[in-house]
Amino acid sequence: MDFFDALNISSSGLSAQRLRMNLISANLANINTTRTKAGGPYRRKDPVFAAQAPAAPFHDMLRDRQKEFLKEVSVVGIVEDGRQPIKKYDPTHPDADDNGYVAMPNINLMEEMVNMISATRSYEAGVTAIQSAKDMALKALEIGQ
Amino acid sequence: MMNEVTFQKDLQSLIGPEAGSRAKEEPNPASFGNMLARSLNEVDQLHAAADEAVQNLAAGKEKDIHQTMVALEKADVAFQLLMQVRNKIIAAYETIMRMQA
Repeated sequence: MDFFDALNISSSGLSAQRLRMNLISANLANINTTRTKAGGPYRRKDPVFAAQAPAAPFHDMLRDRQKEFLKEVSVVGIVEDGRQPIKKYDPTHPDADDNGYVAMPNINLMEEMVNMISATRSYEAGVTAIQSAKDMALKALEIGQ
Repeated sequence: MMNEVTFQKDLQSLIGPEAGSRAKEEPNPASFGNMLARSLNEVDQLHAAADEAVQNLAAGKEKDIHQTMVALEKADVAFQLLMQVRNKIIAAYETIMRMQA
């Protein structure tokens, strides 16, 4: 059903923004983390999104050429930020090097907050799109009443 | 919660035993009764999916709240459409019943 396409696409957007929110939470929580499994300080993570055709039977694709242009968003990967860790002078820190410098994660608090607002707003937009799609369908049911 | 509601049974009386026997005589896959039964099946499936999503959310299996809500919305809209079809059928039936011989 075509009406459900809008719901499914919006739903994939909501999933993407939720993952983004989770990564921002992880970045904020690890803003002072100096130890990781891979060694060194925590590096901030960013999601990579890609437009993807929704899963549909092949004959649907053949029948509906417009469906070619309907793309869901999918997460193709999570990348680490390439910025170098910040060196902070703290000789008493257990992870300090010989010169007394500690490598701290290069996470900008304000940048993360702005990303968080962006994720929240995008999520809201997705929810609004779902509601509008539903309102349209319900309006159609009022025809002939 | 919702799985007790079997729409097929409720509206089977609408299709009627007569429609079933007629279908046996001439197996017409495009008949109105068949179409209605298929639609009922689809609505029923959507309700089952919504029910499962709610159960998974309550059990902690499903982590996405919005997936559950979207499943519920789908079931809701599909059921409303079904109700509109039913209202139309009832209206047609009543119109015929009011006919004078």
